Amino acid sequence: MRQVVSLLRPRLWSFKNRGHAKKGGIRFFVFGGIGLFFWTGIFAVSYRVLVYFQRVEDIGDILAYKLLSMVLLTFFSLLIFSSILTALSKLYLSRDLSLVHSLPVPREKIFLAKWIESTLDSSWMVIVYTIPVFISYAIVYESGLFFYANIALALFPLCIIASALSALVVLAAVVILPASRIRSIFVFLGFAVFIILYVAFRLLRPERLVNPEACSSVLVYLRSLSAPASPLLPSTWAFDSLKAALSGDVRNSLFHAALSWSGAVFLAFVAVWAAKAVYFRGFSKTQAALARPFQTQSKGLNIFFSFLPGPARAVAIKEIKTFWRDQTQWSQIFLVGALIVIYIYNFSVLPLEKSPIQTAYLQNLLSFLNMALAAFVLTAVTARFAFPAVSIEGNSFWIVRSGPISIRAFLWIKLFIYLVPLLILSEILIVATNLLLHVTPLMMYLSVITVFLLTPGVVAMGIGLGAAYPDFTSENPAQSVTSFGGLMFMILSATYIGTVTILEAGPVYTVFMAGIRGHGLSYLQWAWVVGSFSVAFLLSILAIVLPMRFGRKRLLVSLI
Amino acid sequence: MIRLKGLSKHYGNIKAVNRLNLSVSPGEIFGFIGPNGAGKTTTIRMMGGLLAPTEGSVIIGGVDMARRPEKAKKKIGLIPDQPFLYEKLTGMEFLQFTADLYGIKQDAFAEKAGKFLNMFSLFGRAHELIESYSHGMKQRLAISAALLHDPPVVIVDEPMVGLDPRGMKMVKDLFRTLAAQGTTIFMSTHTLKLAEDVCDRIGIINKGLLVATGTLTDLKHAADMGEVDLEQVFFQLTEEESAS
Ligand SMILES: Nc1ncnc2c1ncn2[C@@H]1O[C@H](COP(=O)(O)OP(=O)(O)O)[C@@H](O)[C@H]1O
Ligand SMILES: [Mg+2]
Repeated sequence: MRQVVSLLRPRLWSFKNRGHAKKGGIRFFVFGGIGLFFWTGIFAVSYRVLVYFQRVEDIGDILAYKLLSMVLLTFFSLLIFSSILTALSKLYLSRDLSLVHSLPVPREKIFLAKWIESTLDSSWMVIVYTIPVFISYAIVYESGLFFYANIALALFPLCIIASALSALVVLAAVVILPASRIRSIFVFLGFAVFIILYVAFRLLRPERLVNPEACSSVLVYLRSLSAPASPLLPSTWAFDSLKAALSGDVRNSLFHAALSWSGAVFLAFVAVWAAKAVYFRGFSKTQAALARPFQTQSKGLNIFFSFLPGPARAVAIKEIKTFWRDQTQWSQIFLVGALIVIYIYNFSVLPLEKSPIQTAYLQNLLSFLNMALAAFVLTAVTARFAFPAVSIEGNSFWIVRSGPISIRAFLWIKLFIYLVPLLILSEILIVATNLLLHVTPLMMYLSVITVFLLTPGVVAMGIGLGAAYPDFTSENPAQSVTSFGGLMFMILSATYIGTVTILEAGPVYTVFMAGIRGHGLSYLQWAWVVGSFSVAFLLSILAIVLPMRFGRKRLLVSLI
Repeated sequence: MIRLKGLSKHYGNIKAVNRLNLSVSPGEIFGFIGPNGAGKTTTIRMMGGLLAPTEGSVIIGGVDMARRPEKAKKKIGLIPDQPFLYEKLTGMEFLQFTADLYGIKQDAFAEKAGKFLNMFSLFGRAHELIESYSHGMKQRLAISAALLHDPPVVIVDEPMVGLDPRGMKMVKDLFRTLAAQGTTIFMSTHTLKLAEDVCDRIGIINKGLLVATGTLTDLKHAADMGEVDLEQVFFQLTEEESAS
């Protein structure tokens, strides 16, 4: 154990040393403030929902418990999702591995240290942001102190279980799949994650909550709601423990918590034992690089980009080639694809017709909401791919700098390269979801045009801020999303999307209501409509130009 | 002290190292030379227990690396070509980290760390973050970390890359002193001058195959050349291989 602690120490020391750095203050407050904001938001929403449930006669408790079990299942699948990716990079791709493996430490201890690190990394965020939900349960149900202790008692083993299962999946995948095919490992893992998310989502059956009439009678509805989840699911153990604690049944609660803990300890042992057998073999295998990548059609690319001047074309082609050859990018594309499919699927099962609210109104509301959501998906994808675009140059950046191409051109090429696929993606997203929502033609046109205007702004912010806050030395540039600049990008982009959506929603609502009531718009209303849309348009232009300029200036300064 | 028995490593179709047989005796400085891509780094990574051989075995001081890796690694001080250092640690913290894992006692550590930091003129900056070090300083820190536990075997990959003349001289002297005290040194390099200067024996590797081993005189003899330097021998031996 002493050695495991020693192996974890650099991480602690680094953390401590970072704390001493000078300009930590502002960042700490920005990060902390935003974190607190989200935390409070989650708390407020879940508290209100629970209070509302309490007022529903008869089934209030059932609904609340159903929600609790859904939260736990989501919690569990999110944990698996994030720990598969963290485990893979911590155990096999991290740069310090070549040092650690040369030290006289048993491999299973290296595994243990890396696994502990990966467990902490992948779970702390999920824990922090689900705790407000549990606290609101505690308040609404006026539970005793024991419940608070039970939150920790029930959630920690769940994290350990999720992380141990992920580690086992990763260990197996790396050994089973042929070494020359690291890429297939990523695709395999991406696929595993997709299945997990999909199954978890199907188990939740959220549409049931919206639509009682899907069941033939109220009784069937109630039964389907209160039907216990599979006792084999680790999240059920946590659920049973928390549920018992809510009603003050300490003994039962402890029993289920103990069940959870024994499962966690058992799986941790299995993982360490498996690591002893195969970890080094897998590690040795992953070091073999792929000698011959896909043959990208250089000639085709050359012709495609023939309209660009020489240097610009060279950068563009290089960008596309390295992107396709970077295996980590691949897995991410796969995951993004999976998330989008699930997102669209969500809409296809929403029982809109059954809703008591006036449908046309609801559809318009939803399609605005959908527009904003699609733009947020775009923001997430941009943060993952376009934001690190400059940092990813890493140590090779000097080639670009010393080459006959200005930083400005370099950044605009980057923007263009990421813009085209992202634009296609977001248009597909918006059209598909709008079709599923059966929106009016007006809304369809409006969304398509809005997304067409929003996307360049969002991508430009990604590239611009990525250039303003580059990190050429990072172990994994893709992680720079979680940096200060990444956060700034997220905030700015969300603000921009929110502003444009609100600027459009107001006038459209007026036009829409006027249409229903059958009378035209007053001059003042016309002025408002025109004014609002012009401001939105202007904003979109500024969102492209300003971040790009800011990025270029900061990048130039940081290079001196 | 070091024995490589039929050591091979294949990357797909590439035979990066092909049935290497070698032994190095205690106190010897062995120079492992070859052109870029010859398989030097791959061999060293297998010797350090970082890479599993496709075939064959590595035996360090009588201990088989595959069977008892911890025991074998304890005998080695490994200095890779691109050493990894935790950038956010200070030099001293990094040394402490490696010392902990080699099981060095705290009082012995303080003394040893002081000695090496002084020797490599790092003492004044031991409490600064490694990310603020120059390339050469990082290299010297990596060497200190590898020698901290007094290993009987030192394995070095390209030791001179990034060192200034003073640093080079320091390393050369250090190797000579260590060897005189009985430490076995296995050093890969393509700096032929270095091999000529300090190595007792030299092995030439080309395309994964060991094409010759012996003292400088042996090699000259093998190359069938008169009074020439190692450079000419090197070209002769590696080119012959490439042509065939
Ligand atoms: N991780 C790897 N994956 C695939 N091939 C590799 C890998 N590392 C090295 N090689 C190949 O093995 C051969 C030997 O490389 P290396 O041992 O690094 O040579 P040296 O250190 O002598 O310059 C080269 O042909 C190289 O292309
Ligand atoms: Mg090498």
